[in-house]
Amino acid sequence: MSTTLYLPGDANALALGADQVAEAIVNQARQLGIEIRLVRNGSRGLFWLEPLLEVETPKGRIAYGPVDVADVPGLFKAGLVECGDHPRCLGPTEAIPYLARQKRVSMSRVGVVDPRSLEDYLAHGGGEGLMRARSMAADEIVKEVTDSGLRGRGSAAFPTGIKWNTVLNTAADQKYIVCNADEGDSGTFADRLLMEGDPFALFEGMAIAGLAVGASQGYIYVRSEYPHAAAILEHALSRASDWLDGFHIELRKAAGSYVCGEETALLESIEGRRGIVRNKPPLPAIDGLFGKPTVINNVISLISVPDILAKGAAFYHAYGVGRSRGTLPFQLAGNLKYGGLVEVPFGLTLRELLYEFGGGSDSGRPLRAVQVGGPLGAYMPESQFDTPLCYEAFTDVGAVLGHGGIVAFDDTVDMVGQAHYAMKFCAEESCGKCTPCRIGSTRGMEVIEQIRDGDVTQIELLRSLCDTMLDGSMCAMGGMTPYPVLSALNHFAEDFQ
Amino acid sequence: MKPIDYGTPAVNVEAEVTLEIDGVSVTVPEGTTVMRAAVSAGVMIPKLCATDTLKPFGSCRLCLVEIEGRRGHPASCTTPAEEGMQVTTQTPRLAELRRNIMELYISDHPLDCLTCAANGDCELQTTAGVVGLREVRYGFSGANHFTETVKDDSNPYFSFDPAKCIVCNRCVRACEELQGSFALTISGRGFDSRVTAGQGESFMASECVSCGACVNACPTATLIDKRVVEHGLAEHSISTTCAYCGVGCGLEAEMQGDQVVRMTPSKSTQANEGHACVKGRFAWGYATHPDRITQPMIRADISDPWRQVSWEEALDYAASEFRRIQMEHGQNAIGALVSSRCTNEEDYLVQKLVRTAFGNNNVDTCARVCHSPTGYGLGQTFGTSAGTQTFKSVEQADVIMVIGANPAAAHPVFGSRIRQRVRQGAKLIVIDPRETEMVDAPHAGAHHHLKLRPGTNVALLTALAHVVVVEALLDEAFIESRCESETFAYWQAFVSRQENSPEALSNEIGVSAIELREAARAYAKAGNAAIYYGLGVTEHAQGSTAVIAIANLAMATGNVGREGVGVNPLRGQNNVQGSCDMGSFPHELPGYRHVSDKATRTLFERAWGVNLQSEPGLRIPNMLEAALDGSFLGLYCQGEDPVQSDPNTQHVQAALKSMECVVVQDLFLNETAKYAHIFLPGASFLEKEGTFTNAERRISRVRQVMPPLSGKADWEVTMGLANALGYKMHYNHPTEIMDEIASLTPTFSRVSYEKLDRIGSIQWPCNELAPEGTATMHTEGFVRGKGRFMITQYIPTDEKITPRFPLLLTTGRVLSQYNVGAQTRRTENNRFFPEDLLEIHPQDAEDRGIREGDWVGIQSRSGDTVLRAALTERVQPGICYTTFHFPESGANVITTDNSDWATNCPEYKVTAVQLVRVDQPSVWQQRNTDHDSEQRRLLSGAETR
Amino acid sequence: MKYENKPHLDELIKTFRHKPGALLPLLHEIQEAQGYIPTEAVPAIAQGLNLSRAEVHGVISYYHHFRTTEPARNVIRLCRAEACQARGGEALAAHAEVAIEGRDLTLEPVYCLGLCASGPAMQIDETDLHARLSVEKFDALIAGLEGEV
Repeated sequence: MSTTLYLPGDANALALGADQVAEAIVNQARQLGIEIRLVRNGSRGLFWLEPLLEVETPKGRIAYGPVDVADVPGLFKAGLVECGDHPRCLGPTEAIPYLARQKRVSMSRVGVVDPRSLEDYLAHGGGEGLMRARSMAADEIVKEVTDSGLRGRGSAAFPTGIKWNTVLNTAADQKYIVCNADEGDSGTFADRLLMEGDPFALFEGMAIAGLAVGASQGYIYVRSEYPHAAAILEHALSRASDWLDGFHIELRKAAGSYVCGEETALLESIEGRRGIVRNKPPLPAIDGLFGKPTVINNVISLISVPDILAKGAAFYHAYGVGRSRGTLPFQLAGNLKYGGLVEVPFGLTLRELLYEFGGGSDSGRPLRAVQVGGPLGAYMPESQFDTPLCYEAFTDVGAVLGHGGIVAFDDTVDMVGQAHYAMKFCAEESCGKCTPCRIGSTRGMEVIEQIRDGDVTQIELLRSLCDTMLDGSMCAMGGMTPYPVLSALNHFAEDFQ
Repeated sequence: MKPIDYGTPAVNVEAEVTLEIDGVSVTVPEGTTVMRAAVSAGVMIPKLCATDTLKPFGSCRLCLVEIEGRRGHPASCTTPAEEGMQVTTQTPRLAELRRNIMELYISDHPLDCLTCAANGDCELQTTAGVVGLREVRYGFSGANHFTETVKDDSNPYFSFDPAKCIVCNRCVRACEELQGSFALTISGRGFDSRVTAGQGESFMASECVSCGACVNACPTATLIDKRVVEHGLAEHSISTTCAYCGVGCGLEAEMQGDQVVRMTPSKSTQANEGHACVKGRFAWGYATHPDRITQPMIRADISDPWRQVSWEEALDYAASEFRRIQMEHGQNAIGALVSSRCTNEEDYLVQKLVRTAFGNNNVDTCARVCHSPTGYGLGQTFGTSAGTQTFKSVEQADVIMVIGANPAAAHPVFGSRIRQRVRQGAKLIVIDPRETEMVDAPHAGAHHHLKLRPGTNVALLTALAHVVVVEALLDEAFIESRCESETFAYWQAFVSRQENSPEALSNEIGVSAIELREAARAYAKAGNAAIYYGLGVTEHAQGSTAVIAIANLAMATGNVGREGVGVNPLRGQNNVQGSCDMGSFPHELPGYRHVSDKATRTLFERAWGVNLQSEPGLRIPNMLEAALDGSFLGLYCQGEDPVQSDPNTQHVQAALKSMECVVVQDLFLNETAKYAHIFLPGASFLEKEGTFTNAERRISRVRQVMPPLSGKADWEVTMGLANALGYKMHYNHPTEIMDEIASLTPTFSRVSYEKLDRIGSIQWPCNELAPEGTATMHTEGFVRGKGRFMITQYIPTDEKITPRFPLLLTTGRVLSQYNVGAQTRRTENNRFFPEDLLEIHPQDAEDRGIREGDWVGIQSRSGDTVLRAALTERVQPGICYTTFHFPESGANVITTDNSDWATNCPEYKVTAVQLVRVDQPSVWQQRNTDHDSEQRRLLSGAETR
Repeated sequence: MKYENKPHLDELIKTFRHKPGALLPLLHEIQEAQGYIPTEAVPAIAQGLNLSRAEVHGVISYYHHFRTTEPARNVIRLCRAEACQARGGEALAAHAEVAIEGRDLTLEPVYCLGLCASGPAMQIDETDLHARLSVEKFDALIAGLEGEV
């Protein structure tokens, strides 16, 4: 009777030596003649505990972590398989407070299932949404999604149902479902965890979208910085074709361009061109990929769909507050003690996340600034930590929730430097089409350098430039770069004096 | 001087929307942009990346506006106008935004306006003024591109200075959208985005074809005409018509006094709609080339030196010689050649001169050697010799079949139109032995390329017809109502025969039966299928048969008589259509009316006050034959060069040598003039008034921009010769000649200069029924009544490959050179193509030990010459290819006397040859070189006298 | 540097030419096989995909992932984005600049590897990831790379 062990094979665990640990475990078991089955699951997103080893027991899965190669013999000696006692033992995984306090909906299977096994996916409730969708009319599916209140999880937060409805109602011989897996925001990794931990759910979401709008072809555009996610998706795709029954999915690798996370630039890129932003109108929903009506959704949005179909719109709508329905997987990053993935309904405050989950700074110093929503998100000062986590409240304080990435900085942070970096990043990643972004970002760096060198009179010019970029740019790249810059100016003025 | 720029292209839809812009109410077609709507309401919105020849791009962000009920500041160039929209284009907020954006532009631009060649003609400069930019708060110490010093002067006509570039992408978009070459791109991204040719090469090394669209589109001095840099901006401009190919582009001659500084394509002319090519836009320098001869010259014998004389003496001498010859050898011993490059009025006068002053019908034109089979074939089947469509019609075509033509090289502006349509989704079928630039154009490659063996057009076209018939792809209704049932039935039975099936003919044609069937289906099943063909169809022993086969195919599938379909000959020279229309053939009076027709003759006899011969006169080949047997001794040759352009050069040279009075009227001492006794200086298209008729039957005005260097326009010279011969001709202006043409030619009856000046151009027929002209022909019925099907029995040419001549040579043209090259060889275009080359497949080359660039001896049954080898897989094994742009190449020394059974159009396209590696020019070439230098000596003698 | 494996290139072009939007997948394949995309390969790519050379050049030069020159034996992509900055990424980057000198290594910035809770992070070549880097850990890793040859 062999024992099943789980050790994450996701990029983060690998970066922390999971493969070496896995090898040690296998060798140790062989030496001791113990029969084990080692599953390389996705990560539960408790990164300070990675590599997190789990053991299947009659009492459920027991966790050990962080495990390193040196721990392995000891773990076996302590009776790993019988889950004997050991300093690394964390008890039942589900009971770990960090996990227990979450409401995992879209992330429910991540870290639980074997991402390489369709059977395992189906055994864990996968496929029900698709099955139900197959018995529904297209417009019924769209209605279900609309009623759930699901909004784009990429960053724009556009109601998914409405987008689908436009595609459904645009006649065409060919339509496409495009998954935007170009998760480029620093401080975000939810898409990666999902792709590496629960790939079949993504396929299911896309297939349902296909049924809803009448598309038979899907593309997943995954960033080249995510080779492991790409590998797992490829593997899973090779297993999924029969199950998807006529819905074809192709993986497309990006090539290092942040702007390609913008939906129209993404389409240009899939079509094989420079990732230059397109004009809207026409909307991609009407004239999208290869000129055909196209649904473009982020990974989380699509992965939320199977549950909505399986359990009904009401189930999903029940979570959240106001117009922000459902849950959002927040990503605690940067200088935090307990960085990781926290999926909770909208409504918690930023402070709760930072301290109750994140445990404050990793450096032990006071947190001073938190950037929410990626490189185009505002820097929030301590005074705004009580803002509730929902799209509306963030908009009210001139910040953005975006993709739910939260990067914390302690009091050693130099906000002039961060403002400068924001402009530098824009200069680095601007597609170069529109003038405010193409030239403005470089001028922004130069002006901030002058300010840093003591010419505070240039602050006025910097504000004027930010104003021009905000209102003059074609897309969010140039249009939102001013957010981090202005928020730094407004909330951390002392750094600029 | 510059036409209004509406910022974005016009939209052609019925539905309209009405909106308000700055309080002004304006109604525009649905889908029109706010920017264009504003301009039509008289409201100018600042812009840099927008121009109405290109699709909206939205990058400069200067055209931002405010729209009631909408967030932010949408760009007016990318926002469609909507019913009831309230747009504001001027607010303090918008002014501030525009000023600040312009400030960013200028912070990366050199401050050298006063010394800049575009000073006064720069949109950046103008717009900076418009938005009221006064200071650049960023200073100029930051990162920039204006210190870049790598200026690209590689192109002979324009320069590229990246230091002045604002990355508006207009050049890149023009190269893609208008020209279709995709030779430009932006390299890098963000602040480093730079306009780049090819893979970061010089323009000359890149895929650039020097059409000038990018130069036209550039809002700054980044891409600029070198002549503008040298001479400065023009003072005034005159609209005229290009004198190169049969597209007949409208051009604006931008002038300083009577000197041309720049030639730009007209946006308003329908033939080209704002586009042009390397020939028309740039290669007009020949007009003032030192080789121009501007003094009449005479000599008794071609071995005598030339003697410069007065116009009077030259014309009197010509007249007396012609009369003497007629006295001694009969009225029919002289004749004339009409030019396909001169104006309609001039062509009309030359044939009138022959029929009145000469008193015979010995008049022919070079159309004889290019499109005479078109005249016969379309005349027999449809009833008239002309393309059925406008060029624009191709925008409605679903399938485009290009047969024996390479518009990318020979009709570049129309070639670009085809590519545009193919990029929009039309299917392209190319029928050509060679892989032309139409076959592999970026994003517009051919869906079917039928690489047939030269000389098998008729077999191929009949095989296509077979498929149409046996696979029941006929348009029964069209045939029933529009065509002759009996000739159809006969034809149907003929093409259905097994011997005409793709399978039976596949080997002969050299194309697989499957490919043939698929092409036939594609053509027949398309909603709209249009055929465009060139000399690869006509210049064969069965040229006329092939034209008929094309007409059959179009009728059988109902692809005639509406937009997007039709049968269209692509005319080689600017006025081939016109010269044919004007009665330049020995058997036809103006308007394609046979000389044997009594009524027509009477009409002209009354008008001209002479008796006309009812028998057709001599064709060019007959004239040459007659010359050799001593019965034809005098020739008036206006703007033609048969020695270089006609087949079997040695035969032509011998014939001319045996004549007693050869009068050549030309810009230069061309090859034929070297056998002439009288030289009358010609006038370039810049030096005279008149009209050209392009391949779509479009009559356009040619306007004088400078006085004739010789003092006389060509029509005046012909008039002078007539008078010297005692036949009175008097016209004060070509408009009077056109009036005479209109009064005598039903298809021209409502044509007048007044109308041309008013509506721009006229497509004939233009008469009581169609006072504004006719865009599409045969819409109701065919000109001849019912369409006539004719049998197209394939008969292989006698020009067969043998062990002695194992390869087939075929000929064609390149983009940068034109016809015999007399004009383009005297321009910088030589930099693009300095000599004729022999294209040969690497396999054939290897078999003969021939390497790239080797001298290759080419022998045929009629002669031999030597060219340099260019190894390429564009030609198939067993086939070689060359051009005939340079006299010293002697390409036509090789070509044979074989010709079309119906019209004597030479079989230029098929010559069996052998190739050998050699180390010196051929005997003919050496002789020709000696003759050439001797004649130049005799000429220089003339000048010193 | 010329494209060493022309037959392989032609094969790739054949397999990709009919795929819609084939250019990026093809460029990825070439770079994976060759380590970079040689200029000499561009004409064949353009011809095969019915594009112009200029277009292919424009695309290659747009995407930072694509290289046109041969990289060093190992490519180190060090994350320079905010989350890693918040954990001392910039100091490490400064150290790295100096540390790689004289070694057969190419140091490239990368903007987020998705390891944002465990920064600073880096990627060695295509798939070898490392997180919670310190100066010592970095030095040990690049020393290891040298040791491998």
